[in-house]
Amino acid sequence: MPKHDLTIDPALMNAAGSLGFSPDLHSPIDWSRLGAFVTNPVSLTARTPARGRRFIEFPGGFLLHTGYPNPGITRVVRHYAKHWHHSPVPVLVHLLAGSAEELRMMTRRLEMVEGVSGLEVGVDSDTSVELVKALTQAACGEYPVIVRLPMERAVELATEAMNSGATAISLAPPRGRYPTGNGELVKGRMYGPAILPVALRAVHELYQMSIPVIGAGGVYAQEQAAAILAEGALAVQLDSIFWCRAGYSVFA
Amino acid sequence: MCYHADMGHYKGRVIEIRLDAGGNQEALIACPQEAIPQAGQYLHVSDLDDPEEVLGVALFLTEKSVYGFWAAPGIPNLWRPGMNLSLVGPLGHGFELPREVQRLGLVALGETVSRLMPLIGQLGQPHSGVTLFTDLPLPRMPALLEAYPLASLLEALEWPDFLAIDLPIEKLTELRNMLGLSEGSRLTCSAQALVTTSMPCVGLAQCGACAVPARRGWKLACEDGPVFDLHQLKW
Repeated sequence: MPKHDLTIDPALMNAAGSLGFSPDLHSPIDWSRLGAFVTNPVSLTARTPARGRRFIEFPGGFLLHTGYPNPGITRVVRHYAKHWHHSPVPVLVHLLAGSAEELRMMTRRLEMVEGVSGLEVGVDSDTSVELVKALTQAACGEYPVIVRLPMERAVELATEAMNSGATAISLAPPRGRYPTGNGELVKGRMYGPAILPVALRAVHELYQMSIPVIGAGGVYAQEQAAAILAEGALAVQLDSIFWCRAGYSVFA
Repeated sequence: MCYHADMGHYKGRVIEIRLDAGGNQEALIACPQEAIPQAGQYLHVSDLDDPEEVLGVALFLTEKSVYGFWAAPGIPNLWRPGMNLSLVGPLGHGFELPREVQRLGLVALGETVSRLMPLIGQLGQPHSGVTLFTDLPLPRMPALLEAYPLASLLEALEWPDFLAIDLPIEKLTELRNMLGLSEGSRLTCSAQALVTTSMPCVGLAQCGACAVPARRGWKLACEDGPVFDLHQLKW
């Protein structure tokens, strides 16, 4: 993929966190249906799983709070770079950083790695506009950069990300809270068909702003992916549909 | 990842639903023999008649049948006989009962004893015995099986030469107290635990939702387990 060029063909890909750190050629996924692969979020140093309850279902979807566990960029590169090099689809590495300096270090580390076609930068739901700008600038270099913005704040933050050098915007799952049976609240990222209307609206508004956007959220059927593309998205990221029927059901 | 080239994708059908002694649903699932999980392994099962299903369920063996197998509780309430199912697996690591085991202790700390029942038929030694420790309503009891309340486990710990535990992840930190062990002390017999927890990504994503604290870092129930040697875990 040439510098800052982003072609995803076919216009479907996985969302970060949905299929692991590298394409598993033994898994049931039909890789010819995907135009790119996004890794699980990778941080500078290792992250451990979140404590407490990490999963709860609600009508229309489920809530997930994992803490994005990963072994840190050095071990991820050591273990998975050879798989990226032999991947049947272009690999985008999703980076998770709390500061521009952390992101700069990870970006430099990846510029020496074969098999990486681009970066996706994760942005937390409470990140300031200034930090979005700094993170985007820190990631820009040899690779095209997708900035994954919180769905509920994408319209607010997208212009700054694009002006700072992003190639495109993608959409992170919205965050929510849900009560357990014993009165506690579980917080986390929301997945499931209930998210689709919010995703469609975000894609529509970003397209109206002439922002190149990769739609994501609540896509469980081919016609839903088509609806996101019809709203102007460059491509569609799929998430937990891969986990339904363990990957055999991707628009089969 | 726990996916292998020979991992299967099968179709199945619900033939019958019954209730266990605690009133939890078990389902008789017709399927090919090669789809039947070993004790402690799981199948990822989805409802083929529901195109809007968001996630499947992990089902465990409780009893083999000429049609397929009886799945342990964890059956969705809406399941009915006649439903068509997508079955993926068997997945994960199940119990590995050493051949020389003569005194098997079963400890059910979850909502059912059913997931431990297949182990009773796996004892290879003559004159072997099985004791079930649980506070749950008792199942139909094979002649080989004696049952005692959990409170008696502490006194009986010298008896088994192997312990198989059905352990909800939220009870992991209570296990040491239940077994009456002080920090740093170990069980005198081998023990394996089936750690039950939600496994939404079924090993496809290493998402971390089913992470189990281990002596060295953490492990994923979906692909490293769901059955672990107890000494691997931090408990």
